[in-house]
Parts: sequence; structure tokens; C-alpha cells
Amino acid sequence: MLVVLALGCRPERAKAPAGVLTLTAVEQQATWLRNFNPLMPGPRFPSQSGIYEPLAIYNSVTGEWVPWLATAWEWRDDANTLAFTIRQNVRFSDGQPLTAEDVAFTFELLRRYPALDQKAVWKFLDSVKAEGPGEVVLRFKRPFVPGFMALAHQPIVPKHVWKDVENPVTFTDPNPIATGPFTQVRLFQNQVYELGRNPDYWQPGKPAIDALRLPAFPGNDQANLALIDGELDWAANYVPAIDRVYVSRDANHHYWFPPMGTTVMLYANTTRAPFADANVRKALSMSIDRALMVDVAMSHYTVPADATALSALYERWRDPTAVKEGDWVRFDVAGANALLDAARLPRGPDGLRRGGDGKPLTFTIAVVNGWSDWVRAAQVIARGMKKIGITASVHLLDQGTWFQQLQRGDFELAVGWSIEGAAPYEFYRWLMSADTVLPVGTAAPGNWHRYASAAAAPVFTELEHTVDPAREKELEAQLQHLFVAEAPVIPLFPNPAWGEFNTTRFKGFPDAQHPWAALSPNKLPDVLLVLTALEPVTLPDGGAP
Amino acid sequence: MKYLLKRLGFYAVAAVFAVTLNFLLPRLMPGDAAGALFARFQGKLSPEALEALRRAIGISDGPLWKQYLDYLWGLAHGDLGTSIMQFPAPVLQVVWTGLGWTVLVAGLALVLGFVIGTALGILAGWRRGGLIDTVLPPLLAFVGAFPYFWLAMGLLFLFGFELKLVPLRHAYADGSTPAFTFSFIADVARHAALPIITVIIATLGGWMMGMRSAMVAVLGTEYLALGRAKGLSSLRLAWRYAARNALLPNVTSLGMSLGFVLGGSLLTEVVFSYPGLGFLMVQAVRSQDFPVMQGLFVMITFAVLTANALVDVVTTVIDPRTRSRES
Repeated sequence: MLVVLALGCRPERAKAPAGVLTLTAVEQQATWLRNFNPLMPGPRFPSQSGIYEPLAIYNSVTGEWVPWLATAWEWRDDANTLAFTIRQNVRFSDGQPLTAEDVAFTFELLRRYPALDQKAVWKFLDSVKAEGPGEVVLRFKRPFVPGFMALAHQPIVPKHVWKDVENPVTFTDPNPIATGPFTQVRLFQNQVYELGRNPDYWQPGKPAIDALRLPAFPGNDQANLALIDGELDWAANYVPAIDRVYVSRDANHHYWFPPMGTTVMLYANTTRAPFADANVRKALSMSIDRALMVDVAMSHYTVPADATALSALYERWRDPTAVKEGDWVRFDVAGANALLDAARLPRGPDGLRRGGDGKPLTFTIAVVNGWSDWVRAAQVIARGMKKIGITASVHLLDQGTWFQQLQRGDFELAVGWSIEGAAPYEFYRWLMSADTVLPVGTAAPGNWHRYASAAAAPVFTELEHTVDPAREKELEAQLQHLFVAEAPVIPLFPNPAWGEFNTTRFKGFPDAQHPWAALSPNKLPDVLLVLTALEPVTLPDGGAP
Repeated sequence: MKYLLKRLGFYAVAAVFAVTLNFLLPRLMPGDAAGALFARFQGKLSPEALEALRRAIGISDGPLWKQYLDYLWGLAHGDLGTSIMQFPAPVLQVVWTGLGWTVLVAGLALVLGFVIGTALGILAGWRRGGLIDTVLPPLLAFVGAFPYFWLAMGLLFLFGFELKLVPLRHAYADGSTPAFTFSFIADVARHAALPIITVIIATLGGWMMGMRSAMVAVLGTEYLALGRAKGLSSLRLAWRYAARNALLPNVTSLGMSLGFVLGGSLLTEVVFSYPGLGFLMVQAVRSQDFPVMQGLFVMITFAVLTANALVDVVTTVIDPRTRSRES
């Protein structure tokens, strides 16, 4: 009977109706459960950037701040106070207007429930007050200009709804009342959900698409099949051999993989000899053939990192002189050997280098089992180290074990990610600032290699109260020079930000030729810029394809 | 009766042991759930978030004995805790979403595979050297030797992607509303067909071969020769005399497999994006979602034990010898 049913009725492909954009992003689940709480972290991206919205959006491609629920902001009182001007005429999806009260209330929630304070803003905030309906004033405990991004990107919830929520941490917000372009939960099933457009969105005429449809995919393979089949209009999948597999199938299939994801690093534990020596770290770096690595581990989807370790995300900050000084990311075995000779790690008669204790140097490189790009990268590293007389073995670990060892500083060498922020300040702070160093054995959220740069400390401090953009740029360049001189970690390559789109039914996506915003729907809250710009394709007769 | 009671006592001890093990094993794994959730973002979350996450999920740092008592107390009240990856949904709700689909696909595949395979085994054993006996065993052994994952992916690619005869994923078409209408049931059947067929293809050989060799052994016994000498009909001999006895080992293995149905045909569900328990389990392990893992294991444990108890009962019915000790 099954066979008859299966083969007898030829199914029409589950095609989304005109105007409904089908997409998939970072969250891969077998089944959806209804939860749209924007204050809890979680990979359900439309909650934070789609249903709810932030005060302003940092466009990671152009490097500009785009006013969103706030129209303007101003630092006052020597950067001890920050004031946001709240946009007029914005309404929540139940018709109530957005006011400064809602913004102040949202931050107040984070103070009362530390579990919601994902960016730890109350570490530097002192108070948040609404001054009239149009202005919110945030007073700081101490000047902390880099905290702006965490504040501006906070999704804002309506006070009149959330004040009656008993526990906002466990609240699942099944029928969200919000300001965003897609607030109507039109369909919610375990396999798929649909968010309809907000009919009273504050940007007139937007969004131009009717709804977003998000099917549940248990993994990348299943999502790729739907993408290639033309069912997905927009995705953020890793696709192997994308030109052949996806692009060549249809003229409307496109992708853009700019190298603006996290920079993948080789972390050398500086609490262990000989990695406390910057020259040893530089020599290790010089033994790595990054061109080969980008080929075998990343199928040429990215480029080798330069010595500032900054990905394309920080392009407008990059200092060309620092890049030029950083010759230790070039593949140079002879140079690496010379550095190690000078560091008094002599070769024995067997060609292997000896450490201070006279024993041959052997290390393990910890990587996550199954993250094949990293595993292949680690193999390239081990091969290079062999050329300079150091034995390294690739250690495949379960993700939990790997992360635990990394956090506790219980490793020799490890491949890992780095932090994505608006400016290099945040990125470097977790790589070389003394205030992020925790003792070995204590779980550290970052700075796993335990490195503190004495020279960088005053630069970090000055950046924390610098409002002037010109001075900020100078200081960020200084950080790059210090990083290049001290090599706290060994950068390998920036990860690409995966993004594919199909222009059969929708147009207006950013791409390499039109880089006006990030394409990847995993990039939050940038995704709002794209969501409000996309338009359905109409045929000459006015119908939909 | 005494025999059955003894068996039930054994199952009670096994259940306590399994529940304890189930509590301990996830806690012996390195890492924690907040770390796993954090790791999924690969640098997109600020490091400060890790602390907030730990606080939100409320990972218990209490002494182990206290956690154990809490766990038993919850279990006794049917409370399996709160899921971490689907925070703050209760485990029961998370598990519930997949239960029906898994029972449908894995259960149906198992029953169909067992019935068809056993019937074929009986025929092959009865007509040794006949057409079924010469063609099917090598063919099924050949197909069964393919890694299941590969077989399922290949069939999905051929029938789903290239020929577009069956849907690529899920249990029913996106957007259709579950209801007891013909069109919805047909839709579910269409989605379930290929997953079920692949499992049957992969397991048929085992059932058939097992049944065939048991048949061959039984057919050589003297009571069958006697039956034949008495002039019983061929049909009666094959089914009532030979097959009934030869069925016993297969019923035992059916009991074992029945329990594992709840674990989900893990690979089937992953390949076909079928929203069942098997994939849920993979995901729970990957995200170190202890409560969901424990909930699933508890269910599987009890399903296996219950299925085995049922098999014991069935065996006593089919085979009078198991009852003989009490008479």
C-alpha cells in the first residue's frame, strides 16, 4: 500500500507561495519548538534580528553604523554618559508606540536577570533612564566606549508586555509583540515555521516580501540538497565545490564567501616552555605553508591570514605598515630554523631539536574530531613543524574535551576560533590583554593561551574612553603593531562567511559586485539590512515566477 | 506463573541498574552544556556570554548524591527535566515531538521486515533449492552488506532528487495541517515510504536467513518425519509443525529490536531529515544536553525491558517447554 501511495501519486514539490522566502541559517534542528524569546541566546536568528530589532546596526561590510530604532546617539560628559535619541512613529505590532521607556525597561531587565545580560553590559553601566519619550540616557561606572556595540545591538522588547512576564529567562514568547519587519507567526510546526510581514512596519513599503519560511534541517547535507534543488532562496551553508555543484546548475544560483568570519588561530600555550618566547612562536608560524593549508583545508574558499590576524570584518582598520612588518606569516623554513637556533633550541644528531631539558621537542595539536577543515589544517602544521625539527602529533578530541582543555589552559598547541567584534579592540583584548588572563586550571572564556602584553595595556585603557574617530584609528593601528611584534597567537586563515542565494524568485541580495552589506543570514544584526531590502521578482506579465 | 514472576523480578533489578547508569554516564563526559552551546557560535558570542549562559541554564553544581536524589524524585513524577538546547522546553515536550514519527517509521519497518523476512525464510527453508532459496539469500546478503547510510543516501538521491518520485525530507509536506483526511495520510505515507523501504531492504536478509536456517534444522527432526509418515498435508506440516518451532529464535531477536525502535532508526532519520527520536539523540549528545539524553535513554531502557518481558510471555505461549519447569 505504501509503495502504491508513494509511487502512485507523484508529489508536487513543496514550493513556497509567491512572496514567501525560504531560507536556512545557523540553527539546525530536527524539529522546531516554539520559542521567540529575543533576550536568551540561541541560534534562532529572527528572534533577535527580524522579529525584534536593535537601536542601531553595525554594517560589517561598509563599517558604518546604521541608525535603526535610535535615530542618533551622542557621548557626553567625557564618555561617562551615552544618550540615544529614539525614533518617532515606531509602533509595536499591537499598535502601541515605541518609547524611551521600552528601551530603559529592556536594559533594566538585563540588570535584574544577569542570565539575560549576554554581553555583560552591567559590568560598565551604572544606570539607564528614559528622559522624556524620545531620549534614553545611559550612565557608565567608568568610560567604556567599546561597549557601544553591545548596547546598540540589544534587541528592544515592549515594556507593556514584558512587565507582566513572570520569568523572562524561561519565557518562550510564543506570540511576539515587536517592532521588526516580520512579527506575525503565520505557521509553526515541528518541521517548519513561517513569519509573516509586519503590516505596520515603521519603514514604509517594507518589507517587500510576504513571509519568511524556515524548514528544519538536521544537517548540512540535507540543507544543501534543498539549496541545489532550488527550494531554498537563501542559505548560509558550507557547500563543497560550489561552482560545479551549485552555480553551474542554474544561472540564478549565486554565492559570496567573503573572508570575514572568525580568524582561525593556532594557540600556543605561553605558560609552557618554549612557547613563552615570541621568537619560537614566530618560527612555528614561519614553518606553516598557509597557501597549502588554504588549498587542502579550505578548498581555496579563503586566503591566508596576515600578521595582524584581522579578518575582512576589520578591513577599514587594517594598517598596511603593520601588515608589511609581519614577515613571520610567510612560509620560510630557513628563517624559522635560524630563529630557533638563536632561541637555543639546538638540533640533535637525529635532526630533532632539543628543549632546555635536553629532550627532543614533541607537542600535540588539539583539534575537534570531525571538524575536518581544522583537522586538515593541523596536519599541514604538523608537516611544517617536522621540517624545523619539531615533532607534532594531531590530537583529535571530542568537542567538549577540546573546549575544556582550551579554557583551562591544559594544552600545548590547539586550533581554535577568535572573537568577532566591531573594532580590533575587542578582538585583541581576548588575545593579549592582561585583564583577560586567568590562571591555568580556571576555565577562561577567552585568552586560552594566557598572554598579557604589557605594552598594549595603556593602549587598551585609552581606547576605552576615546570617542574621537581619528585618535581611535591611531590606537587601533598601535594594537596591530604590538600584535605583529609580539605574536601572541599564530593566525592561520579567516573563515569565510558562507552565503548562497537564488535570484529566481527574489532579488536585491548583496554580493561581491554589490558589497553593500553582509550576505550571510548568520551575521546578526546585519541580516535586518538585507531582510528589509529584498524584493520579489515579478515577471513582465506581473505574475510571480 | 512462578517463572513469569521470577522474570519480572529480574527486570526490576535491571531497570534500577540502568537508571543509575543513565544518571552517571553523561556526568562522566568532559565539558558542559553551556560550553557546547557557546562553541556552536564560534566567536560570534562575546566571551562574557559564557557565564550568563551557565547561569541561565542553571547547571547544577550540587554534590552528586543530591543530584541523583533529585533525578530519581523527578523520574518518579514523570519529570525528566528541562532541555538545554531547546531551553526552556521540558524534556518530555522535546521527546514527544519525535516519538510518534519514530514509532511509525521504525516500528512499521521492523514489523514489515520481520513478517516478510520470516515468511520468505519459511518458504526458502521448505523448498530448499527452489527459486526463492537460490536467488534471494545471496541477493539480500549483497544488498545488506552495503553500509546503510550509503544505501539510504543513494536511494534518496535517485528517487528523491533525480527522479523526484518521493519527497526529500520530513514526515509530511511543509505547511499542510495534520488531520485524519485521506490526503494527509497519503502525504505521510509518501514521506515514510522510502525510509521504511530502505530499512526493510537492509534488514530483510537477516530475518530471512535466520528463519531459513532454523527451518532447515527443524525439518531434519524426527517428529516432522513422523508427521509426514502420518500423511499430514504439506501446508500443515510447513506452518504448524516446522515454522512454529523455528520461529522461536526470530521472536527473541524481534523482542530485542522492538526495544530499540524508540532509539529511532538513527541513520534513517538523519538521512531523510525525519523528525524522530534518533536524530534528537544525536543532537542531544552533540550539544551535551544531559536532560534530553537521559530522558531518551530512560525511555529506551524501559522499552527494551518491556519488549523483552513481552517476548518472554509470547515464548511461553508458543513453546510449552518453557512452562514445563512449573508443571
